[in-house]
Amino acid sequence: MSKIVIQASQVSKLYRLGTVGTGSLRQDVQRWWSSVSRAGRSSFFQERGRGDAPNLWALKDINFDIRQGEVWGIVGDNGAGKSTLLKIITRIIQPTKGVVRGRGTVGSLLEVGTGFHPELSGRENIYISGYLLGMDKQQIRQRFDEIVAFSGIEQFLDTPVKRYSSGMYVRLAFSVAAHLEPDILIMDEVLAVGDTSFQKKCLDKMQQLARDGERTILFVSHQMPAVRHLCQHAMWLHQGQMVVSGTATEVVDKYIGSMQQQRLVQQWDDPAAAPGNEFVRILSVEMIPAFLEGQETIDIRTPLTVRFLIDNRMSGALLNAGLHLYNYAGECIFDVASTAIICEAGRVVGECQIPGQFLNDGSYYISLIIVRDTSIPVYYHEGAIHFEVADYRENTSWFGKWKGAVRPHFPFRFGNQQQPPSITI
Amino acid sequence: MAADPGTNDHWEWEIDHRARWGIVDLRQLWSFRHLLGRLIRREFLVNYQQTMLGPLWVVLQPVLTLVVYVLVFGRWMAVDTGTVPPVLFFLSGILLWGLCNDLFTGTAFIFTHYSYLFTKVYFPRVIIPLSIGGTHLARFAIQFFLLIGVLFFYGITGRFEFAFNAWLFFVLPAVLLTAAFSLAMGLIFSIATARYRDLSNIVHLGIRLAMFITPVIYPAAMVPEGLRWLVRINPLSAVFEVFRYGLLGQGLFTPGDLIYSVVFITLFLLFALAWFNKLAAKLIDVV
Repeated sequence: MSKIVIQASQVSKLYRLGTVGTGSLRQDVQRWWSSVSRAGRSSFFQERGRGDAPNLWALKDINFDIRQGEVWGIVGDNGAGKSTLLKIITRIIQPTKGVVRGRGTVGSLLEVGTGFHPELSGRENIYISGYLLGMDKQQIRQRFDEIVAFSGIEQFLDTPVKRYSSGMYVRLAFSVAAHLEPDILIMDEVLAVGDTSFQKKCLDKMQQLARDGERTILFVSHQMPAVRHLCQHAMWLHQGQMVVSGTATEVVDKYIGSMQQQRLVQQWDDPAAAPGNEFVRILSVEMIPAFLEGQETIDIRTPLTVRFLIDNRMSGALLNAGLHLYNYAGECIFDVASTAIICEAGRVVGECQIPGQFLNDGSYYISLIIVRDTSIPVYYHEGAIHFEVADYRENTSWFGKWKGAVRPHFPFRFGNQQQPPSITI
Repeated sequence: MAADPGTNDHWEWEIDHRARWGIVDLRQLWSFRHLLGRLIRREFLVNYQQTMLGPLWVVLQPVLTLVVYVLVFGRWMAVDTGTVPPVLFFLSGILLWGLCNDLFTGTAFIFTHYSYLFTKVYFPRVIIPLSIGGTHLARFAIQFFLLIGVLFFYGITGRFEFAFNAWLFFVLPAVLLTAAFSLAMGLIFSIATARYRDLSNIVHLGIRLAMFITPVIYPAAMVPEGLRWLVRINPLSAVFEVFRYGLLGQGLFTPGDLIYSVVFITLFLLFALAWFNKLAAKLIDVV
C-alpha cells in the first residue's frame, strides 16, 4: 500500500457569524464592553466569542487518510464545507481545531485565472499566474511554449488580457493551470465552467493526470457521473460533517439516494379525509420503480409504474384519467391520458407504465386528473408523487448535463456506409 | 515544517490552528523570489499602462510637487533652508518622504486590495508587502538620479558647492531605514484595516499630518527648542537629517538620535513582520 500523503485529523472550522469581521471598530468595542461587563457579573470564564452571535461549524471533526496516487471526489450540497476543506488543505485558511499533515507539494486550482491582471499581456500573466500557482522558473520556461500552444492565443500573447474575449481568457488561464504538476492537486469544480468543449478539455486533462498513478488528486464536484467515473474514492460532506467516505460508486449512490426527497406513495385510509369532492375521492397514488438488482435509487434506466385507486361516487359516468409529469421548472413533460370508459360507482383503479431509458435525469412530480365525458375535469390532484431520476452513463466520457426534456433511447443505427457489392461482368 | 518527533511518520508539512510567531522564513521566501520579482515588475507595468508619458511620471511627479513646494514653502512662507538652495532642500525631502508615503499607503490596505489573491491561493503573505516595498524602492532609485542630476547642475553652475563628508555613506542606510519604517507601519496598519475598515479614513489623514512632524519641508534646526522633543521622538527625523547631511552638508542630529532611530526602526520592523506573519492566516477569514 502506498504511503499516506494527506492526513486530516479532527479538522474543524468555526465561523463566528456577524462578529469579528463586520469591519466596524464601534461594534467590536461594544462587544468588548458587553463582554467585560458580563464578565464582571457572573461568567468570568466563559469562552470568548460565545454569546449572542451564532457560531457556524463549517467543518466539524473531519478525519481521513489519502494515499499517494489516489483520486478523491468530494461531494455534498452547497454549504456543506467542501470548499472550506480545500482551503484548509491548501493553507489559505487555518482550521479552528485539528490538524492536516502531508507530504509533497500541493497545487490548487480554486478558480480560473488566479492572479491574472487585466492590464497585462498574456505573456506577463502566464508568468505571474504560474508562479502564484507554485511553478518554478524552470518549469514555466520549459512549458511556456506548450502553454501558449495549448491555449491557441499565440497572436495575442503581447496583448493585454482585458482585450481578450472571455473564451480566450479562460483558455489561457486553463492552459497555465493544466501545466501545473504538483504532487497533490486540489481542484474545485469551478474549473469546469465555460463552454462544453472547454469542460470536456478540463475533464480530459484531469483524467490524464489521474491515470499517471503518482499524482494524488482531490476534486470537488457536483457532477455525480464525473465523480463516479474519475475518482476511485469519495467523501460526502453534509453541513460540515463527514457523512460517509469510501469507494466513489458507493458514496455517490448514497448521496444521490439522500437527495431524492421523494414521495412515492400517497394513501388515505379514511375516504372522508381523502382529497377529492362529491364526485370522486383519491384513495391512493403510488409509484413503483422496477429496480435492477442491487439498485436502490431511481435512475434514467429504471422503468416506473404509477398506480392509483379512486373512489368514484357517480354511477354510469364516462370517465378517464390523465397523468401530468412536470419537472421542477414547472414545465409539463408529458400528459398521458387513459381511454375513457363507463364506470360504476365504487373503486376504480388505474396503472400507467413509464418505460426506462426515457426520462432525463432531474426532479419531477406527477399530478393526476380525473375527467368526465372526455372534456369536463372532475378533480385535479396536484403533486401526488415527487421523485428524482438520477443520472447514469456508461461508455461515454461526457459528463456535462445531458440536454433535453426527455432522454429516450430510440433505435439508432450508426456506422460506416456499406459499399454496394461491386459487380464484375 | 518540522516533522513530529513523536511519531515514526515523517510529515513534510502540517496545518493547524496555531498562529506562529516567526519573523521571516528565509528559505521559504527564497523559493518564492521569482514571484516577488514578477510582482514588482507587474506593479511597474500596471502603473504606466496606457499613460502617454509612461515611466516618465516617476520623475515628473516629484518635479511637479517640487514646483509647488518651492513656491509655497520657499517663496511665500519663506522657510529658512540655510545654505542649501530651496530646490535641493525640498527635492531631497520630497523624494524621501514620497518613498515613505507611497510605501506606507501601498501596504496599509493589502488585505482589502489583494483579497482576490489571498483567498484563492497560498503563498507567504509577506511577499505582497515586500513586493510593494521593492516597487517603491526601485522608483526611488530612479528618482534619486534626478536628485543627483539637479545636484550636479547646481554644482556646475556654482550655485551650490558640494562638499564631501563621511555621512554620505549613510545616505543609502537612511533610505533603507525610511523604507523599513514605512513597511513596518504599513504591515501594522494592514492588519488593523483588515479588521476595522473605519481606519482607512484615518490612514490618509494621519500620513499627511505625520509629514509635519518630520523634517520634510523644514530643517530640524528651524524647530523651536520647546518643540524639538516632538521632532526628536519621531525616529524618521534623524534619518531625514542624515540623508540631507550626507548629500547637502546640512542637517541637525546627534549620534544619540541616530542610534535611537536605528534601534527603534529595526525592532519595530521585526515586531511588525512577526505580528503580520502571526495574524495573516487568521485575517483571511475576515477579509
